[in-house]
Amino acid sequence: MRVSRSMKWAVLVVLSVVVVVMLVPLLWLVMGAFSYDGTVQGVLPLKATLANFNFLAGTTAGIPFWRWLANSVIVSGAAAVIAVLVDSLAAFGMARIGFAGSRVVFAVVVSSLSIPFVATLVPLYLEMSQLNLLNSYEALIAPFTASAFGVFLLYQFFRQFPREIEEAARVDGAGFVRIWWRLAVPIAAPAMVTLGIITFMDAYNDFFWPLVAVSDTDMRTLTVGVAITAIGQFSTNYGELMALTLLSVIPMVVVFVVAQRRLVAGIGTVGTVG
Amino acid sequence: MRVGASTAREPRQRQVHYGHLPLGAGSAWGRRHRQGVWGWLFVSPYLLLFLGFQAVPVGFGLFVSLHHWNGVVGNQGFIGLSQYVNLFTDRTGNAAGFWSAMEHTVLFVGISVPFLWGVPTVLAYLIYMVPGKGFFRGAIFFPTVLSSSAISTLWLYLLATTGGPVNGVLGLSIPWLVEQPEAWISIDAVTIWWTMGIALVIMYASLTQVPTSVLEAAAVDGAGIVRTFRSVVLPQLRGGSAVVVFVSTIASFNLLAQPFLMTHGGPGTSTYTVSEWIYQVGFTFFHMGQASAMAFVLGFIIAVVGFVEYRLIVGRRMG
Repeated sequence: MRVSRSMKWAVLVVLSVVVVVMLVPLLWLVMGAFSYDGTVQGVLPLKATLANFNFLAGTTAGIPFWRWLANSVIVSGAAAVIAVLVDSLAAFGMARIGFAGSRVVFAVVVSSLSIPFVATLVPLYLEMSQLNLLNSYEALIAPFTASAFGVFLLYQFFRQFPREIEEAARVDGAGFVRIWWRLAVPIAAPAMVTLGIITFMDAYNDFFWPLVAVSDTDMRTLTVGVAITAIGQFSTNYGELMALTLLSVIPMVVVFVVAQRRLVAGIGTVGTVG
Repeated sequence: MRVGASTAREPRQRQVHYGHLPLGAGSAWGRRHRQGVWGWLFVSPYLLLFLGFQAVPVGFGLFVSLHHWNGVVGNQGFIGLSQYVNLFTDRTGNAAGFWSAMEHTVLFVGISVPFLWGVPTVLAYLIYMVPGKGFFRGAIFFPTVLSSSAISTLWLYLLATTGGPVNGVLGLSIPWLVEQPEAWISIDAVTIWWTMGIALVIMYASLTQVPTSVLEAAAVDGAGIVRTFRSVVLPQLRGGSAVVVFVSTIASFNLLAQPFLMTHGGPGTSTYTVSEWIYQVGFTFFHMGQASAMAFVLGFIIAVVGFVEYRLIVGRRMG
């Protein structure tokens, strides 16, 4: 696009201001975490302390940080692995094998994307309670494993998969499982990694399901732990609260740094397909 | 190719429809490998999880909404549609709370959606004009990877009336979270800050699909950047806009964590949203049946609004 030089500079200034507004709150998060009692005067910290991180020793009542972190990683990791495996099998089945009824199944799966999450919150809770699974990893993981979004994403991908390669494999006598594992999975690997990352983020960041599914402090995820601490202490110790919040977002910051391009490309695709 | 040839030789009635791009459907190979059975085998792990944790809960939720269902003692009997009828006729108690929360939610949707579409669209256009596209997109996208609980807790601190950094920098003591209309302004602003990165990425991707020849033609005609945006770019962004409006509407109707953590529904009950009220009725009052009925009414309203929006924006083109 042709834009004059001065206009480009003006736009750059505007965008820089926007970026500062976007990122200053996060700078304050870091500063609050290292501040005395959460007092941040102005834009730069005057004095820093590590006292807010004392809960890392594991002796602070009500904040079992390492346990929460482990819960979060176990739950999100398991959800991501299961979702990628199960979704890719299903997407391959629908897109490449095809069977009587596959269109109906696909339509049902896609339409389930429009169910608001509060609609399943109460019955899912009652179901888990019936199954005696409240306060368990199974309950935390299960709702993230059947991702309609994942099937949709991989379905689009598998459909574009070149037919000739597949036919060559069939001539060599390969069955569906071998074609899926040896051909489809390697080719769809980028999309599967994107799906894994998105599922991991979803499960890690989710708040209301783990809030209702778990009442035992030691089974909380880190995301819920932060919120429970915030509700519990009500402006008593902002420094500690910010230290906990800061540590809780670090895994997501790592994911962002590693996978930013993938995420941006993935979301962009969804937007232009629709 | 052998396989192709054998497919062509099959009698016509063998051409059963096996879904999209059937893989040698009806061929000798296809019969040997029993496509129907294999297809279901591949789909079954997903289907089991889908049925167990998506379909069954929805069906069960409907069942619960037709019963007097207490969270502690369980099912206390079938009462038909009376929970739905009560929701539309009762002007007191939980039903009144539901509609008051619905008002707040609709207000929130009405205010946040135009911003969640407009701001990212303009920003996408500005980013498109200058170098550093990846950096700007990344920086604005960044807050969206954080959890609702982390951003709510962060802003709970930043917007504290006394001792909060925002008031500290401004040298004011604005009651951001404890009075109206400040509380709603804060929730709106925080939500826009947190989620507009997704809309930006979608609008940017949609902008890159606009043919450069169209933009060049506009430049040749002497159109400035504002004029080009309004008359040339915007009409081309219909698809992206539809997705953004649709997605933000659904997300805004589901608003829950920000008021839950930042304002606790207050001051008074002025920031209670429908989702928050459903949570309250179901998990604090333990009226699970009533909460389920409310959830279905909310789901229905979201579906209708989403459908109307989608038709208004892209409907004409879909014919």
